[in-house]
Amino acid sequence: MIRSALAGLVLLASAPTLAASRPRYGGELRAAHAGPPEIGEPALADTPMEAALLGLLTRPVCRVDSDGRLHPTLARELTRPVPQALRVALPSSASATAVARAWTRLSSPDAPSPYRALLYPLRGEGRQVTSSGPTLELALAFPWPDLERSLCHPALAPPPAPASGPFSAAGRGVLEAQPAWPEGRPYLDRLALTATDERGLTRLWSARQVQVELGTPPDNDTLTGAALYATYLAYSPRKVPTDFRQAFESAIDRDDLTRLFVKGPAVPMPNLLPPALLPQGPRARPAAPPMGTTRKVTLAYDAALADQRAVAERIQVKLHEQGYTVALEPQSRSALRGRQARGDFELMLSALLLPPIPGPALAVVLEAGGRRDLLGVELPPIGALADAGARDARGRERALALAPSVPLIPLYAQGLGLRAAPEVSGLVLDAQGLPVLEGAWLSPIEASGGGGRQ
Amino acid sequence: MSRFLLSLFLVLASALPSGAFAAEGDPPATARLAVAVAEAIRAAPAEAPVAVSLSGSSAELRRAFGTLLASRLAAQQLGPVVLEVPPERAEATAREQGARSLVRLTLDVEGGELVARGDVLGTWVNFWSGRTPTRPPKPAAAVAEGVEADAAVLALASVGTPSNNGTPGPGPQQKRPVRLLGAVFARLETPLAALATGDLDGDGRDEVAALTAREVFVFAADGRLLARRELEGAPATATTREPFGALAVLTGPPRLAAWSTRYAKGEVLTLDKAKGTLRAAGALDAAPLGTLERGTFVPGQTVFAPEVRLADGRAITVPAPFGAASFASPRMLFVHADGTASLYARPASAPSRLSGLGVGSALGDLDGDGAPELITTSPLLQPSPDALRVLSLTPDAPMAHEPLWQGTLPPGRALFVVTADLDGDKRREVVVGSWKPDGTSELFLLRQGAP
Repeated sequence: MIRSALAGLVLLASAPTLAASRPRYGGELRAAHAGPPEIGEPALADTPMEAALLGLLTRPVCRVDSDGRLHPTLARELTRPVPQALRVALPSSASATAVARAWTRLSSPDAPSPYRALLYPLRGEGRQVTSSGPTLELALAFPWPDLERSLCHPALAPPPAPASGPFSAAGRGVLEAQPAWPEGRPYLDRLALTATDERGLTRLWSARQVQVELGTPPDNDTLTGAALYATYLAYSPRKVPTDFRQAFESAIDRDDLTRLFVKGPAVPMPNLLPPALLPQGPRARPAAPPMGTTRKVTLAYDAALADQRAVAERIQVKLHEQGYTVALEPQSRSALRGRQARGDFELMLSALLLPPIPGPALAVVLEAGGRRDLLGVELPPIGALADAGARDARGRERALALAPSVPLIPLYAQGLGLRAAPEVSGLVLDAQGLPVLEGAWLSPIEASGGGGRQ
Repeated sequence: MSRFLLSLFLVLASALPSGAFAAEGDPPATARLAVAVAEAIRAAPAEAPVAVSLSGSSAELRRAFGTLLASRLAAQQLGPVVLEVPPERAEATAREQGARSLVRLTLDVEGGELVARGDVLGTWVNFWSGRTPTRPPKPAAAVAEGVEADAAVLALASVGTPSNNGTPGPGPQQKRPVRLLGAVFARLETPLAALATGDLDGDGRDEVAALTAREVFVFAADGRLLARRELEGAPATATTREPFGALAVLTGPPRLAAWSTRYAKGEVLTLDKAKGTLRAAGALDAAPLGTLERGTFVPGQTVFAPEVRLADGRAITVPAPFGAASFASPRMLFVHADGTASLYARPASAPSRLSGLGVGSALGDLDGDGAPELITTSPLLQPSPDALRVLSLTPDAPMAHEPLWQGTLPPGRALFVVTADLDGDKRREVVVGSWKPDGTSELFLLRQGAP
């Protein structure tokens, strides 16, 4: 599944490189991005761009590569002393405490996060994770073979600290390699990051002032990460008419949204899980329900995302045709998450970075859709399947079956686009669709052939 | 029969099941090929009795394969007869011996495969043909079968080469052309970090030791896994992204020194062959580059620092950090990260600079002239496929001359090259360690093949 979903994950710079068969160490990589200059905590920095940038400074305990192989990153080792327990060995007591605190915080009443569903299979639903020295001992409430891969989700990273990521901040826009990074020192010595907009990206690339660009629109020479950043319209069944879903589905064309209102790379998402996890053709749009009296509803969206503003405005127009007067309400992401957890909204654009595995992804979607009650019913039968393929198939099947009972209307899924100069070697995207910049290195210019930019 | 041939048969007898770690339980390559060829002969369809004529490779490999093939054919009620005549006389001899079918096969070891190619034909002569040896319409079939070769196949194929004609005496031997045949020696589930060879059990033949990020493996000369052990100890404060380490066989008494960059210290281990275990016998503070040579890791990088302590206790500083070192007294080779290397003719001499080497490089006497050759992989980061070159060190600029031998390697990144004396003949075989695209690794053995 992951292999097919991430067919675009390739090793850059296939030009023959003289390097005595091994990657070269050292050098500074200049990168530009179209993301925000400041990034919040991992559970909220869940757009692909923000997750990629924050991932330079802080990482979860592991990562999954494009082949589905798990690599400990912040952790030294993840082992199962018995099938129902996972031991996570971290490099220090401080990092173990930071991870435990970050995971516990996902369930706290003041900052509830849909990503806490990733910890649901733990005993106590992951509300209380404690460290014992540099080790986290995690006991499972029911068999859940995908726990390790679930823990690789970027939202489960601890807040940035000096040794929490492969790089550490060393001045404005400069990140230095962490020599003691548990997965191994990055090949590069440092990264020089420039925050800009789309026009700035084009200008910097044309002038060859940067070697890597994050957040580029889809193009022939662009690498695209798996489209796992899924945006839904969440609605409160108690606050909108019973035929709202039918009205919305009849009014909204996902292809139009993706093509005209969302910056790429993006794909229409007709099901609860993105096409990368649940490939299926578009569904026929239902007929519009009979028009009733005019209803007023409020649509909250993420004020930091231009895509969401454009989509919200489109929804406003289309629902007007169905007899809805939609008031738009831009909100901060943390406020949105709080209101979503409390059910304090009528309509809301809700975006989630889903893990690249159907079972855990379904858990996050159910949590975000206010159906935490289904986790205890749906997850154990998935986890009981020993075969990974069978678990994935069951997760997809349940996603299709549960879609009508979850008050989330899937809209579109986005990935991260990036491009790199020929001298940048070894840059790959992981299963989450995020770049692994610590694995990139600079080839000698003469060996990489130079040029190659358009 | 020489001591070598006796030991060879013992090796073959004990190579059931195959020594390939990942394929433990598989029958030997000769037996697998016999099954495939026998099936092709039966499907021809051949009529009993069947005469078999084999050519190519060494007489010992032909004989061993002929025995196994005849056994399979006998089990299929095909009444096999193995002909010991030149191929051009096979058809006439088969008729003389009353065979109704003849199988003519040429054996070869190429690209890591043991292959048999040839045909199946009928030898029955129509009464009306008189004395003319006409052929019947059937059986008539082409046979082309191949299986992955193994160490036992290479051992059989190498019998009859100059190095195997008896035990060589002391001193330089007669130089012979280098012609290497390769086969998979063993497989590991994780990427290699280092490779070393040496006689760990005192039997006069080298074992092959392999280090991964967290384990050490010791293989016998036929590829059987003798022992494996998980490394222990405190984790290193700065490790490498790729598995990397140092591994060497120490002498007097034989021990294995292993240090993976995942750990803060290395370990000294002894092999208990009877129990199939490696026992801890001490800790290491310096990276074992060779039997007595020591170095230090550059923290977090897949290279060693330029300062090296030599066997005699003296310290030298090579021109740059290096990713691989090889010692063939008095010569020393250090391969740097940019594909260049420093070659010392003697420890006290100035190094000569070579370029175009892969990190998989070693010194070893393959042609039996008493002087080591330079064996090196491709300098490219992602060669497709990788290649192994054997270069003479006699000229001043070995890289400027045509290789004594070169050949392609199986797919993967060939990062480790060592030489070993696996058969006790004092001449070196080559073991190449490669990372495979699926995250496993493979040891590929190359040894002199029959001319």
